[in-house]
Amino acid sequence: MRSVLSLTPSYYEALKRLTLELAGVNLGSDHAFLVETRLSTLARNEGYESLNDMIEELFKTGQSRLAVQVVSRLLERDTHFYTDPESFDQLRDIVVPKLLESQPDNTLRILSFGCASGQEVYCIAMVLDKAREMYPKASFDITGVDYPSQSLERARAGIYTHFEVQRGLPIRDLVTYFEPHKEDWAVKDNLRKQVNFEETHLLSNLDLLGQYDIVMFRNNLPHYSSPAQVRVMRGLATLVKPHGCLMLATDETLNSINYGFDPHKDAANVFIKREEKVEQYIDPSIKQPNGRKTFEKSKRIIQDITDRSKKSVS
Amino acid sequence: MKTCLIVDDSRMIRRVASRILKDLKFETSEAENGQDALDLCRVDMPNAILLDWNMPVKNGLDFIKELRDSPKGKDPIVVFCTGERDIVKISEAIDAGADEYIMKPFDSDIIESKFHQAGLI
Repeated sequence: MRSVLSLTPSYYEALKRLTLELAGVNLGSDHAFLVETRLSTLARNEGYESLNDMIEELFKTGQSRLAVQVVSRLLERDTHFYTDPESFDQLRDIVVPKLLESQPDNTLRILSFGCASGQEVYCIAMVLDKAREMYPKASFDITGVDYPSQSLERARAGIYTHFEVQRGLPIRDLVTYFEPHKEDWAVKDNLRKQVNFEETHLLSNLDLLGQYDIVMFRNNLPHYSSPAQVRVMRGLATLVKPHGCLMLATDETLNSINYGFDPHKDAANVFIKREEKVEQYIDPSIKQPNGRKTFEKSKRIIQDITDRSKKSVS
Repeated sequence: MKTCLIVDDSRMIRRVASRILKDLKFETSEAENGQDALDLCRVDMPNAILLDWNMPVKNGLDFIKELRDSPKGKDPIVVFCTGERDIVKISEAIDAGADEYIMKPFDSDIIESKFHQAGLI
């Protein structure tokens, strides 16, 4: 009997390895259907006859551009408005007021790291807009970053489906901050103008992004392999200003490595960046990242995977 | 166990919503228009009401206005569940006392999310 899935198992395994190598993310063993669905659309958009044709081309020629597109598509996550709503209460009631006390120009830079299709970024903007009476002189510079992807394009457009706006978004927020857009809903201009989105590789050198008073990185860490977790947390540590805050989800915490942060006394998932540069303690049992510039070197990695795939097929 | 009254003139919608709400551990009852729903509320006020807008005899908007003016009528959480998607209509429902608003078509995730936001779960 013919399988429902058209992608050959060896290509699926090769794609899993590619995603782990390029982005440090484990796809898991039961996502074949998801991979098939997402990449079939990409294959059609790129003009290939079939998904297998596109993957064959990828591994035969080692096109970096195609590799980035494939991996970005595989990394897209289904995100909702106000996931983990307590985090937003902490942002409004604990983190922002405390940081504003020591901010002479009343401006805070806030980063959503791994913003996917942008719901978290717009939620930050909505929460702070609703709380503007708490800090009337404050202004906020809100940015979302993630891999280049269709999700990030959707975030920029600020357009969400009928189903998306009904998962987590209170109806009063929908009425206040959105307007109908054909069959979908669009974020109103006044809110969209308060936020920015930028493409970045989350494991690369993040210096170009500058530093932020608050970095939100929620529900992302478990997707990474152990070496990639160390690497992404090191990157995050460089993004947070001294005395600034790193916010994880309310059920997340830092493990044995502190990365130069101290825990917040009122919120177990919030961490304050120390002033001084701290020698990081690295758990010796965790494999060290090797510092490769992953996307830039994707061609070599693809070639390596291609060679291994050929061996396993033969 | 919390109780939810499902008010909709479509038997199919009432059946689907009832199944979803039972999975969410609600005890459900049903009415096919606003007047029947008001009669049921006078006898036994539910914790929550899932309310359609366009129904014969008495529509959802007239129902909620009368409900909110009645004794204990401010107690139940009312979640509109309707095909009306016009911002003006949604605002009208909120002004009349709706706590949340679902636009049809819906699925179990949407009902769960809205009931969660309304503090029912």
